[in-house]
Amino acid sequence: MNYIGEHLWAAELGRGLTAFSFVFALLSTFAYYSKGEGWKTVGRLAFRIHAITLFGLIGTLFFIMANHYFEFDYVWKHTSLDLPPRYLFSAFWEGQEGSFLLWMFWNAILGWILTYTAKNFEGPVVGVFAAVQAFLVSMILGVWIGDYQLGYSPFNLVRELPENLGLPWTQFEDYLTRFPNFMDGSGLNPLLQNYWMTIHPPTLFLGFASTLIPFSYAIAGLLRKDYTSWISSALKWSVFSVGILGVGILMGGAWAYEALSFGGFWAWDPVENTSLVPWLTMAAGTHLLLIQRNKGGVMPSVLFLLIITFLLVLYSTFLTRSGILGDSSVHAFVDLGLSGQLLIYLLFFTLGSLGLFLARYRSLPKKEQEDRMDSREFWMFIGALVLLISGLQITLSTSYPVFNKLFGPEGLIHLYDENKVLNDPITHYNAIQVPFAIIITLLIGAGQFLSYRQTSTKLFFQRQITTLVVTTILTALSAWALEMWNPMYITLMWTSYYAVIANLEFWIRWGKGRWNFAGASVAHVGFGLLIAGALVSNANKDVISQNRTFIHEDFPANENLLLSLGDTVEMGKYWATWSGQNEEGYYINYELQFFEEIDGKLEAAFNLSPRIQLNERMGNVAEPSTRHTLTKDIYTHVTYADLRTEEERGTDEWKNEFELELNIGDTHFLYGKYQLELDTLVVDAPQADSELQYAVLGAGLTITTLEDSVYKVMPVYAVQGNQAQHVDAEIKELGLKFSFDRINYDTNKPVIIASEHTEAEVPFILVKAEVFPWINLLWLGSILMAVGTGIAIAQRVKRERK
Amino acid sequence: MKNSQIAIIIAIAVLIGFTLVNLGNSATYSSFADASLQQGETTTVIGYLNLEEPMSFDPKTVTLTFAAKDKKGNASTVVYNQPKPQDFERSEEITMTGYATDSAFVATDILMKCPSKYNEQNEVDSDKIYK
Repeated sequence: MNYIGEHLWAAELGRGLTAFSFVFALLSTFAYYSKGEGWKTVGRLAFRIHAITLFGLIGTLFFIMANHYFEFDYVWKHTSLDLPPRYLFSAFWEGQEGSFLLWMFWNAILGWILTYTAKNFEGPVVGVFAAVQAFLVSMILGVWIGDYQLGYSPFNLVRELPENLGLPWTQFEDYLTRFPNFMDGSGLNPLLQNYWMTIHPPTLFLGFASTLIPFSYAIAGLLRKDYTSWISSALKWSVFSVGILGVGILMGGAWAYEALSFGGFWAWDPVENTSLVPWLTMAAGTHLLLIQRNKGGVMPSVLFLLIITFLLVLYSTFLTRSGILGDSSVHAFVDLGLSGQLLIYLLFFTLGSLGLFLARYRSLPKKEQEDRMDSREFWMFIGALVLLISGLQITLSTSYPVFNKLFGPEGLIHLYDENKVLNDPITHYNAIQVPFAIIITLLIGAGQFLSYRQTSTKLFFQRQITTLVVTTILTALSAWALEMWNPMYITLMWTSYYAVIANLEFWIRWGKGRWNFAGASVAHVGFGLLIAGALVSNANKDVISQNRTFIHEDFPANENLLLSLGDTVEMGKYWATWSGQNEEGYYINYELQFFEEIDGKLEAAFNLSPRIQLNERMGNVAEPSTRHTLTKDIYTHVTYADLRTEEERGTDEWKNEFELELNIGDTHFLYGKYQLELDTLVVDAPQADSELQYAVLGAGLTITTLEDSVYKVMPVYAVQGNQAQHVDAEIKELGLKFSFDRINYDTNKPVIIASEHTEAEVPFILVKAEVFPWINLLWLGSILMAVGTGIAIAQRVKRERK
Repeated sequence: MKNSQIAIIIAIAVLIGFTLVNLGNSATYSSFADASLQQGETTTVIGYLNLEEPMSFDPKTVTLTFAAKDKKGNASTVVYNQPKPQDFERSEEITMTGYATDSAFVATDILMKCPSKYNEQNEVDSDKIYK
């Protein structure tokens, strides 16, 4: 059948380019690992063709997305006609297939750069890149081998999906115009329609891609048994990797803080954890590379860390994309059925690289003499070790779902009967990671006063007397000002201040404030500030929306405050009013006005508008609104709001109509609150010529409340001929109405209808508001870290040129 | 023995220590029946919302009360002192962390799994076609 309106050429082109890209990546790997200059030229050419076809396929996917060819599954799922063009990039990498492409894109760029810069290491280094690319392209190949689908192509047509094959609608050749479903796609998830989604994934994936360079150098070194000539190149790139990966992770934190209601910038979610771990090990590896270059003797550890960093990136990929985190993470990817392929990818590189490492282990250059305990390199080594343990601890705790799959009730090796789970991950990670942070910041500070090879104790303390004094005074002042007395927190505050001040002093006094010393110092100052900011803003976080009225000792303190429209309530040192709401696209904005009490008068301080995103696909989501000041942030979000429309809410004045049939003397318990008794029945029914002229009946009702207040009313029912009239009785205080409806002639009992008054409900919302003190230290620290690593790279490149 | 080797051995010991602590601290997914045997102990129960029983949310006290069934079929009333999560009724599965009391299971944390979440579907609605 020839379907009308499909752009099959794009499908053919896209799939063709994917296939070529895959084949050339394989060819490049093969050629680069064959001996001889000729093969090397072939390898390089193949890698570049691979890269060009990859860019072509990325371009094709962009083209069909920009033109909304909704017959393509990926286009239908991730774009819609009303998607603003600026979100096209976000839509591109929203799905697994697109994010794989983003990753491959960076690998191709970095690999291409290396074909110029790696010089005589080009063969094995770019060869590793080509092998990784071959695996990655295979994830989007979409080729059926028997019943097994190798990869999942972004160029699949909707009608070709296995679940749609043979369905009636695929029998229409004009299905694209016949069925409304194909007029518009489901679009980019509104939750992801913000600028963070445009900048965070590319940065993070560049970070992931960059971990491959030091890994490739390590593999190349092992293959050639050359453990010296690649150190500077690897060092330069590992600094780059630490910087970019760090920025990528922190952007994720900033996104969570600014636009999502996670209640902070870090939630120890598995997806966050698995991106942090490679950063920790890469930072450790970078420092060991420095020791190796300056003094040597740590080659085995260097190789191990560079290898494991990339393996942890692969493990992270496996965790977030195989669907294994389903129960424990709020933002893992959908399972595309690639878990088998991902596992092979992970195992291939793990066994290959660690196997090579072990095979060469005996021949690796070892230390000639032992490091002294008072040397800088010894403590840098310890620092690297602590970073590694910290990373492995996070990995272990994040891997519970994997352990459950392996050893759980349905596991391969049955070890326990019930799946294990971390009850309170945030407390768990904080408790273990705070001591690690203390050691790391302490070493970052102390390391500056140690010399390579050996340092005299006297000199070590003489050098840092100013730092120690200033740090202690600052810590005391901060603890006093913030009323923070937890010994663990005070220790961490001291060590992080120490890291900041020690590095400042080192740079100014020993580095004479010179530009070429600045990189490391600025990055270390940034790290210290980041930890201090994270500590203070979290430990001293103040929930100012405490609802103290209703706390019961059994219940956790309530952190949400009820705001009625127009009411002003106390919130910490502020007063807040909910003044109204307005709709804006997907959003309902809630306007909050904050006041401060100055001389007994309320003065307007600032306005915030937290909002709720109406999101049919993900469920409605609250987005915070934050007031930023230098020393603190006031962070608010709406935790409950009535989103029903007026129609759904109903506009009837009376509700809960209830019909009663009563004899005189009967009682009834009404609405669970009132005792109702029919005590009299007044009848006025004059007769003339034995004809009933009219009848007026009154039902004497007595209502007793739970507090024993008594009300007496008499609803009236009048009939004349076919006409009936009712005079209802109301009790305004109770909001009750009684109507004498009729006499049931079968039972001869009067029928009374009771109803309750609909209270004029004042709209309300629940708001949670928190104050994060000194969170700006965290952002300042992040920026300094990025700047510091930038300077360090610039300096290395400059030194190389000389 | 070399200093660095001592350090590595200590590091490995620390890591094994943490692993053991972890295993000790970690809970298993529990049931309402098990939870009520150990009142006050924090556990995690995976279950479903029972919509046949009444559910109420009182915004003034911020109390959500609902009926749930765990995977083994035990029923319990659950009290949750947080605002009612959006689309709570649509949840397919609820992971409740909290502790049991005489009258109800008090949840301190709730994680919902919604059928719509990440579940992109492009089924063609056959009702729309033939009319």
